[in-house]
Amino acid sequence: MVKKALNPLKIDFKKCIVEDCLLQIRNEKNLEEPELINVWTIQINAKDSKLLIDFIRSKILDEDGIFLNHIKRIRKVEGPKKMLEVVLCSTEFAQDEAACMSLLTNCGFNYQNLSCENLIPKQGAPTKELAIEWSELYWPLNWCGNPNDQILNEYTFDIDFIREKLAQITSISQEEAKKGNKVPVVTAFVNPCDAEHPIVSTDQRSEVNDLVLDHSIMIGIRKVAEDTKLKESQLTDSTIGTDSTYLCLNFDVYTTHEPCSMCSMALIHSRVKRCIFIRPMSKTGTLRADSGDGYCMHCNNSLNSKFEVFQWIGNDFAPIEIESNLCA
Amino acid sequence: MVGHCDWMGLAVRLARYALDQGETPVACVFVYEPMGEVIAYGTNDTNGSLTGIAHAEFMAINHLQSAVGTGAEMLRLARSITVYVTVEPCIMCASALRQLGIGKVVFGCANERFGGNGTVLHCNKDASAGLNGTYRSVPGIMRREAIMLLRYFYVRSNERSPKPRNKSERHLDKTSFPLLNWGRYLEESEFVEEFGEEQTNHYANHTDVAEKINWSLVDEGCDDIINELERRCSRFVEHRNKRVKQ
Repeated sequence: MVKKALNPLKIDFKKCIVEDCLLQIRNEKNLEEPELINVWTIQINAKDSKLLIDFIRSKILDEDGIFLNHIKRIRKVEGPKKMLEVVLCSTEFAQDEAACMSLLTNCGFNYQNLSCENLIPKQGAPTKELAIEWSELYWPLNWCGNPNDQILNEYTFDIDFIREKLAQITSISQEEAKKGNKVPVVTAFVNPCDAEHPIVSTDQRSEVNDLVLDHSIMIGIRKVAEDTKLKESQLTDSTIGTDSTYLCLNFDVYTTHEPCSMCSMALIHSRVKRCIFIRPMSKTGTLRADSGDGYCMHCNNSLNSKFEVFQWIGNDFAPIEIESNLCA
Repeated sequence: MVGHCDWMGLAVRLARYALDQGETPVACVFVYEPMGEVIAYGTNDTNGSLTGIAHAEFMAINHLQSAVGTGAEMLRLARSITVYVTVEPCIMCASALRQLGIGKVVFGCANERFGGNGTVLHCNKDASAGLNGTYRSVPGIMRREAIMLLRYFYVRSNERSPKPRNKSERHLDKTSFPLLNWGRYLEESEFVEEFGEEQTNHYANHTDVAEKINWSLVDEGCDDIINELERRCSRFVEHRNKRVKQ
């Protein structure tokens, strides 16, 4: 992990802009409201706190898929006895009371009031003020800076490569328009294991025989699958399994126009890692908070499936504009 | 009169067939209302196609397209089609059916993770999914049958998993079913139009209109279902050919 100050990339953490040209797309609307999750809590005697910490370190920290580093594990219970209330684990890790009890078998300390009633923010607060507010409202939080700063800082970008891909899809978009394609939306799928050979697809819906659903992203996903099948058929027995592609797992997707709900969901089903688009679609887009119905599909809390999204905001690329009512 | 349950019965049998082929038990049939006949069907093919997008609805759309030929003709027919699908369409499929201009969707159980007809998003009604009008989506038809097939699937996958996940997936529950919040999918007036005034207590109580499970649909293998559906779909092709000749 690089320290923020040592990151060679220029990142404006406030505006969420990388190298003056990539805008991180987030759901600004839900930043000030925490997404709350239930956690299992128990109460223990203060004298048992060391046993408890050892127990959590050895049995829970590495196993629980929900990271709880942003909260204080332990809080005092009001009252004459020295009791502590402790967050044991997420309700995803232990799905019912029986699972919790079996986790606690042989824990070596006494506990009481096992409960899953407590709600905590799933992620740390974006500002110190909110961290204080949420600590009072829900559960004591640690303040370790805006969690999004760390997220942005840990992303990797090869800006020259990104430019090259965006230039490529823009020029194909312009060629398509010249050829008479009324919806010149173009997408490139880049496999992290084979970045030199992107799979490029164009929108096919204006072809008479083709369907209104033949958007460039849908066509591209199918092309990736055909490509995978072809490669697997060419593999000799000894090489099978060494470099096989699963769906579009961890792919980077470059597309000229902000995708519609069908295509954004298709990207989720395909497990892509990142999508970079150029032109926002104010009525039909589903990634920007101010596009369409504000779905923010890539960071919609109720979907529980995420991918990174950026909009290229530099002036260097101008793919052909399409009618605002169309779904890209 | 052929009702929702007859069409959904075909979809449930097709889903059972998919389960026996090792696929996720989700299936659909497209009914062309002017003829009262099935004109396309589909089951999940995510394993076979190596894509995460080969859902039952898309397989049916492909099937229909190869029968009618052009995308333009598909658009012309779509308004008269009712889609019967065992599980609520995901956001991708819900949006696709909308962009295609499908007339109506009827589904069995909710898709809690990805549902696009009301559970997570309302792609059938919201403005962003395009120009082709909205469609009504009716939940709860043979819901328990659809849920049972999914439970069979999860118990089977869990049995094969080296690290079984949790108790609820180890044991097959055949008696308890979650409530159905009708209001997520339909206005009360729409519910009355679909099910009749006498059923409104179910709307308020979040209960099933039909509680009895048709176990034969869920439990019996249906190797003949593909033949039956093919036979039905071919009637539509013949009907169209006749019309073209006239």
